[in-house]
Amino acid sequence: MAPLHIDPERSAPPDEGRRRFLTTVTTVTLATAAGAMSLFNMIFLKPRVIYGSSSKVRVGRPNAFPQGSYLDLPAARLMVRRDGNRFAAISTVCTHLGCTVRATDVGFDCPCHGSTYDQQGINMGGPAPKPLAWYRISLTPEGELEVDKSDIVPFNTYLEVAS
Amino acid sequence: MSVHEVVVPQSINENGGLAGFRGIHRRIWNSVFRKPAIPQNELEHSKAVADNFFLHIHSAKVHDRTLKFRTTLGLGLLSFFMFIILVVTGVLLMFYYVPTPAEAYNRMLDLRGAVFFGDILRNLHRWAAHAMVLLVVLHMVRVFLTGAHKAPREFNWCIGVVLLLLTLFMSFTGYLLPWDQLAYWAIVVGTSIAGYAPVVGKSMQFVLLGDYSVGGEALLRFYVLHCVALPAVLLALVGAHFWRIRKDGGLARPHGNEEGDSSNTKATVSHMQPGEAPSFERFPARAGKTYGLMCVVERSSPATKVEPECQVQSWPAALNRELALFVISLLVLSIFALIFKAPLEDPANPLHPPNPAKAPWYFLGLQELVSYDAFWGGIGIPGILVLLALLAPYLEWRKGGEGVWFHRSRSAANWMFLTIMLTLGILTIIGSLFRGVNWQFTVPW
Repeated sequence: MAPLHIDPERSAPPDEGRRRFLTTVTTVTLATAAGAMSLFNMIFLKPRVIYGSSSKVRVGRPNAFPQGSYLDLPAARLMVRRDGNRFAAISTVCTHLGCTVRATDVGFDCPCHGSTYDQQGINMGGPAPKPLAWYRISLTPEGELEVDKSDIVPFNTYLEVAS
Repeated sequence: MSVHEVVVPQSINENGGLAGFRGIHRRIWNSVFRKPAIPQNELEHSKAVADNFFLHIHSAKVHDRTLKFRTTLGLGLLSFFMFIILVVTGVLLMFYYVPTPAEAYNRMLDLRGAVFFGDILRNLHRWAAHAMVLLVVLHMVRVFLTGAHKAPREFNWCIGVVLLLLTLFMSFTGYLLPWDQLAYWAIVVGTSIAGYAPVVGKSMQFVLLGDYSVGGEALLRFYVLHCVALPAVLLALVGAHFWRIRKDGGLARPHGNEEGDSSNTKATVSHMQPGEAPSFERFPARAGKTYGLMCVVERSSPATKVEPECQVQSWPAALNRELALFVISLLVLSIFALIFKAPLEDPANPLHPPNPAKAPWYFLGLQELVSYDAFWGGIGIPGILVLLALLAPYLEWRKGGEGVWFHRSRSAANWMFLTIMLTLGILTIIGSLFRGVNWQFTVPW
């Protein structure tokens, strides 16, 4: 192997401007790549396909509900209520920290931190910060009631069904 | 026999086929240990500590004060031992565990009833996790009360705060895995708290759960976090934490004649920096460099024969104590695991939360706060406390009181710290014992 030869002319100060330019370009390129990779990895963690239960729940034909009755569906974590010919779907997920509330004679109770709601789902006591959600309820072409849990509607929104 | 005396083997051609095997056991032994396996004198002890990958986290010598029980109460070391026990038992439990809602709970029952030693390993894992949370908190209290978080150790304190949070997050993710009622509803509540975080809350909750509600996706995600992602980060930071202890000059110790320490009245070593001694030969021919055993003394004249007298050999003084502490902690934990079973509630039932739905004890202070207000209890107050903890060593910048329990000059800081810790303790006790059905106030007797 040839001995290392240091050329005194080549060890003179390099072109400062060119060196700074190359440093900047390299830094920006690597930082951009690293930033993009981190961003993609974070987006990767946010699922685009959900394997859990569908947000739409069919709850049966309207005439299955007697006048003034309600149906508590703990598996779907919602309650369907009939009031005259009007139907509504109210979430039974506590707005405080997500426990399932239980229907009582005067409204709803949460067992986890003691929140209470009235029959309209308005928060009356405990740490709950807001009323229970009301979901969009619609009639499918087959004539069944369908609740869409991903579609939260304003409080007191009912579906009129002609009987 | 030292490495320099190894006989160079004759070539096989010269001495016939098997001659190369003569003395091979010695060559193999020497390639592994390089020196006598059992060091005989002080120099060999020092070299053994400095050259061995698993021991070189120690300096060759330590100040005798470092080894006194009342200096540290052994809390940091005990936390680390709990972590080691958790890794070993956790990896073993992984061989039987399946992270799906259909199988997880059954596997818990199998571990309890069918798998040989499964019950004991699960008990050990659970109680070591509880002990680790407790010991890490106590370690933090010890460090603060002895002023060991102050300059130049501020950043290591911050690593410690992150390690505390990781420890809590480890136990939180571990809690979901048995898929029992406690697990399920603790995760429902815990991830809902995350949802209250400003701006990113809802996305964070969604990413944590992998779904809009707690289910199979959440179980898989918490499994990966618990078994791979978090332990990896935790281990890396534990390494950095230990490394910084030495780089920041060893354990905090009092200056000069400060009270409470009679063994260190003559001189103060500020740093021991092997490798910074002036070296004139790039490749010294002589083996057995000694610069690793010297130290820089913070004085105008070299105070020879002062500081080294306060120092003891890491091997055997420190190693013996560490081994003893490990054996004792494993023994206590094993007895505990034989007597007390790790709790397992009914299988997870998404339809009916238990009443009251309580988190594990170390989160009950948080749950008590959350029962007043979800944002302030779950995000606001904990966030402020973590921020305060991270800033504490930078706010308390005046020198003095390092390495001394309850030093007079630090009484204000100590009282503030103790007040916060006692408040958290009282909230935990209220949440544990004084909350009943519907989280109503009850008395435990």
